[in-house]
Amino acid sequence: MAELLRIENLHVAFPTDDGLVRAVDGVSLTLNEGETVAIVGESGSGKTVTGLSVMGLHKKGSAQLSGSIHLKVGDSSLDIVTATDEEIRLARGRAVAMIFQDPMSSLHPYYRIGNQLAEGYLVHNPGKKKEALKRAIEMLDLVGIAEPDQRAHEYPHQFSGGMRQRVMIAMALMNSPRVLIADEPTTALDVTVQAQILILLASLQKEFNMGILLITHDLGVVAQVADKVSVMYAGRIVEQGSADDVFYKPAAPYTLGLLKSVPRISTHGSERLKAIPGQPPSLINLPIGCAFEPRCEFSTYAASDICATERPDLLGISPTHLSRCHVAEATRDRLFEEELKEVR
Amino acid sequence: MSKLSALRRAAVITASSALAVSAVLVAGAPSASAAVKPKTGGILTFLEHTPRLDHYDPSRIYTGRDLAFMNSFMTRTLVAYNPVPGAAGATLVADLATNTGIPSNAAKTWKFTLRPGTTFEDGKKITCTDVQYGVSRVFATDVITDGPGYLQAWLNIPKDADGNSVFKGPYVKDPAGLAAFKKAVSCSKDDRTITFNLNKSVADFNYLGTYGVISPVQAKLDKGDKYDLRPQSTGPYKIAENSKTQLRLVRNSKWSKASDPVRTPYPDEVIIMFGYDEEVIDQIILEDTIPTAVNFAEPLSTNNDKFFSDAAFKNRRMNNPDPYARYFAFNVKAMPCIEIRQAMYYSRNAKALLDYAGGETYAGSFATGVISPLLATDYAPTKVVGPGSPDFIPTGNIPKALALMETAKTKCPADYKKATETGIKFDVRSSVTLNDTIPIDTAAYARAGIKVTFNPIASGYYPTVMNPDKQSDITASGWGADWANASTVIPELFASFGGFNISQNTSDPAYAAFEKGVNTAMLTTDRKKQAAMWKALDAQAMKNFWVLPTIFGKAQFVWGSQVGGVFFWVPQGNPAFGKMWVND
Amino acid sequence: MRNFLLRRILFAIITLLVVSAVVFIIFSLVPFDPAALSCGQRCTEQIIEGNRIKLGFDKPLYMQYLLFLSGIFFGRSYGSGSAAFNCPAPSFGYSFNENACVTDLLRESLPVTISLALGALILWLTVGVSLGIIAARFKNKWPDRVSSIFVLLGTSLPTFVTGLALLIWVTIKWKLVPLSLVGYTSLFENPFKFFQYFILPWITLAIAYAALYTRFTRAAVLETLGEDYIRTARAKGVKERTVLFKHTMRAVFAPIITLAGLDFAGLIGGAIITETIFNLPGLGRLTLRSVFEFDLPVVLATTILAASVVIVMNLIVDMLYAVLDPRVRI
Repeated sequence: MAELLRIENLHVAFPTDDGLVRAVDGVSLTLNEGETVAIVGESGSGKTVTGLSVMGLHKKGSAQLSGSIHLKVGDSSLDIVTATDEEIRLARGRAVAMIFQDPMSSLHPYYRIGNQLAEGYLVHNPGKKKEALKRAIEMLDLVGIAEPDQRAHEYPHQFSGGMRQRVMIAMALMNSPRVLIADEPTTALDVTVQAQILILLASLQKEFNMGILLITHDLGVVAQVADKVSVMYAGRIVEQGSADDVFYKPAAPYTLGLLKSVPRISTHGSERLKAIPGQPPSLINLPIGCAFEPRCEFSTYAASDICATERPDLLGISPTHLSRCHVAEATRDRLFEEELKEVR
Repeated sequence: MSKLSALRRAAVITASSALAVSAVLVAGAPSASAAVKPKTGGILTFLEHTPRLDHYDPSRIYTGRDLAFMNSFMTRTLVAYNPVPGAAGATLVADLATNTGIPSNAAKTWKFTLRPGTTFEDGKKITCTDVQYGVSRVFATDVITDGPGYLQAWLNIPKDADGNSVFKGPYVKDPAGLAAFKKAVSCSKDDRTITFNLNKSVADFNYLGTYGVISPVQAKLDKGDKYDLRPQSTGPYKIAENSKTQLRLVRNSKWSKASDPVRTPYPDEVIIMFGYDEEVIDQIILEDTIPTAVNFAEPLSTNNDKFFSDAAFKNRRMNNPDPYARYFAFNVKAMPCIEIRQAMYYSRNAKALLDYAGGETYAGSFATGVISPLLATDYAPTKVVGPGSPDFIPTGNIPKALALMETAKTKCPADYKKATETGIKFDVRSSVTLNDTIPIDTAAYARAGIKVTFNPIASGYYPTVMNPDKQSDITASGWGADWANASTVIPELFASFGGFNISQNTSDPAYAAFEKGVNTAMLTTDRKKQAAMWKALDAQAMKNFWVLPTIFGKAQFVWGSQVGGVFFWVPQGNPAFGKMWVND
Repeated sequence: MRNFLLRRILFAIITLLVVSAVVFIIFSLVPFDPAALSCGQRCTEQIIEGNRIKLGFDKPLYMQYLLFLSGIFFGRSYGSGSAAFNCPAPSFGYSFNENACVTDLLRESLPVTISLALGALILWLTVGVSLGIIAARFKNKWPDRVSSIFVLLGTSLPTFVTGLALLIWVTIKWKLVPLSLVGYTSLFENPFKFFQYFILPWITLAIAYAALYTRFTRAAVLETLGEDYIRTARAKGVKERTVLFKHTMRAVFAPIITLAGLDFAGLIGGAIITETIFNLPGLGRLTLRSVFEFDLPVVLATTILAASVVIVMNLIVDMLYAVLDPRVRI
């Protein structure tokens, strides 16, 4: 499996009047062909910022980027962090495409769907207007829109939310991208539609052999489709590993919290949802210690007050399973096992 | 010249050093450029702030400047003022007529014989019938408004019960009325001689002949109201365009120099450009952007210094006394106590107000009566008010005013109470200058314990104050003679039959004697004797304090570098427009 | 669409009726007698009464109003005897101050005002929108700061100051544009003279409006640039220039057109200051004069005309919006 994307030690910060917002703080991950990597976290954890960084969509003046984002463009590799605007622009659509969170606002209200789709094709195939429209209709058909040749002439407001997300997907696929970044592709949709979209994405992934970077806060979705998972908290990855590792052997207290907060039908009648208490820290004034420490119920198990004073490193439990926690692995396994029993 | 036009700078002032009559006339001397030989051709442009002239119909013009303009270029009248500088300018000369009028029957009958060879712009010969028709129009008082009313007052036509003429003008079919009119204004068999029969002796009736109310109009071209837009010319120019932006006069090819002893036309075209901002007009003249342009009105008082202190404008400016006497008319019925009227005169701060308006240099001089010094023959300081009178102090004679108020306190307590407690109400024209002058006035009268309130009137000023029901206690006004005879001033302002009497003085016990004097003066044909009578009547009116004269005004004129032949035409109080010429 | 139009036209007619009735009532309440105002110096009750009959003020108010309405459809005669005359339909009355049928006055003034407003509109849209785009594109950089100075000056300097300054400096002192001594020339008659005549008035009006439009466009562009669909366009690999001029401007266009339509309507009745300074014989000056001179028929006609223009422009703007914004359907 060829590597399509390798993010190394990515930092993204936004200067504001109140101080520097460190939205992404040292993220590394890789994405291979045909693989789905999920980035999971609460809003504000930096997952969308990471996705946008790959697209090169941060404004030069307003965002400070460091580290590297190696994207496979054609046969070579392009570092998005240092690439020129024009190089990035040419990579968009073909090397990497993105589906945005809100299909309602992500389509231009004044242009016909067909034209909006065709435009992406025309960027890379100038002058081929007829072909572009044909491809647009094909893509609409592919994403399951009935009577695509007619609907191509309609405007976004004539589509339902699920249909619009399909359109967004179709738009992203216009140039058969190698990497697809799907940012909360199902959040704005009904549960039944969510499933349809996920199935659609999976089938398209197969067809195009794409690598999908799935950005979501929804562990249910992750469980359905992801091969690998990165859990983000306050701009940092707190756990990274295969989906099985993360779901069945979570190694970070935050991941555990997330798993516990997933609503499920309980066999013992109704049970209260276990939300993680407290709020994520401000990205301007991050605690010197572990960012999750104020909310963490396990910090007392760590040696002295190390959780509050020292930032934990992302360490390997196994070569493919990393986590960030000061609590000793054995203690953690034991405590987590207890907790997970309740969940299962 | 009639009442002070609404468009003139609102004057606010009163009385000082007697302006020598000779000085007034010297001011009318031609400018240096007039010494150069006049040039023919080119376009003479007048720049005007208002959107149009009030009237173009000769029967309806009654503003000095417009009259001087239209009569210089378009409207020929039976007689005219000689357009020359200095005192000679006030001389009557024959125009359409061959003489300046022949009176008979103790000046109750006046005959004028028409000059041969005179035509309208369409080529039709001017006949007595045309003049007769023109005269008849002024009786259609619902259509032909705003002109002088002397004809209605003087022509010997029977009046109905309301005191109005039985003749209602040419627009209504009324053979009886028309017959009555034709008896008063008749034409000879050859249609060359017109005879006016008057209901009283009018020794200077021929001066009315300088007005368009006695001018020829072709009956078949008369459209009533619409004639105002496009009157037929009888002079050297005719209207080529009368629009919202300009009045353009071009040469009238039917006019012949041989038939016109008065006019010497120079430019090919004469244009009045309407509607320019006053500041813009001044700037155009200051910068000489249009060297052939004349400011049709006065420059803004704020620009006077630029024009009159810079030698560069030596030949492009004129500053002359204007023919208007400004005054406050007391509503004598509302203010019967003469001591209070006098006290107001003595407590007024004439100097402060004159200084505010531009001082003696631009605003004028303290008035001594209502007869302006420009009426050289009839003018003399009254020695009752203003410079030359015993108690006159420009800033106010407060001890005298206080003494008068003390007398009033016992003599007329009700009026005293009104003056000191309720307040005396002042009709004034709304103006931005009121913000400054009201405090000056209020403070001045307060020195004598007199309280004044002001009634600013925004529009329809004269119609309002001339309505006895609406007039307040005092009314600001101004008046200029209609021709070089105080017969158009003293009777007009003070007699019961006067056209502009806003003093309501007929209730004054002193009035009867005064009117007797007026009647005698009007019937006096010896001009010298008559002048002495007007002087005495002016003084008498002042002694009665029916009005409080403020200033004899001044007027400034400025023009471009390529305009020649500009001089002050004394009887019209304006430049002799017809004598101007331009360098191309 | 047809129903919409019918409804709007009916609404427009009712509005105009109300507007004209209100003007009528206001003028009947003002404590001045128009019959006396048009009376000469030697005014008698008889003349005033005659004037009243001639002007139609002798009739009860509702009759005056009905006569006014009937004049619009059937024309109207004034005066009597040989001095009578007729104003053919559509007649908005007769101005005794101008000695002309009001309809003719409007007919003369309207082209001047439309030329003024249209030229200024083109100028301020061009300048204002361009500057707004530049300011947004270079936000917080020097082009943005320069344009913000322009906005500050344009919005704070009153028209009479800029107009008078332009006229005095450009025309009178520097003599760059000749002072038009001939009046209004139609574009089709003599385009050169037309431009000479209108260039400074256009600039005067355009400065004030361009400043507003710069500010408006800048804000609208910046707001739109933050929209999700702009990010989508960028994600497609669309060039930045296309993002700005196609995707962004397409969205900014509709509100600008709306604003421009309403401002244009406002100018038809209200370019009084500019028309006065530059001596343009347009509707604004006609209105101003008629109000000062208490020329009721002209005031009435200009008020109704101004109201009609606003109503019609509103309708046009609504219809344009429907064309521009596919979400709006009428």
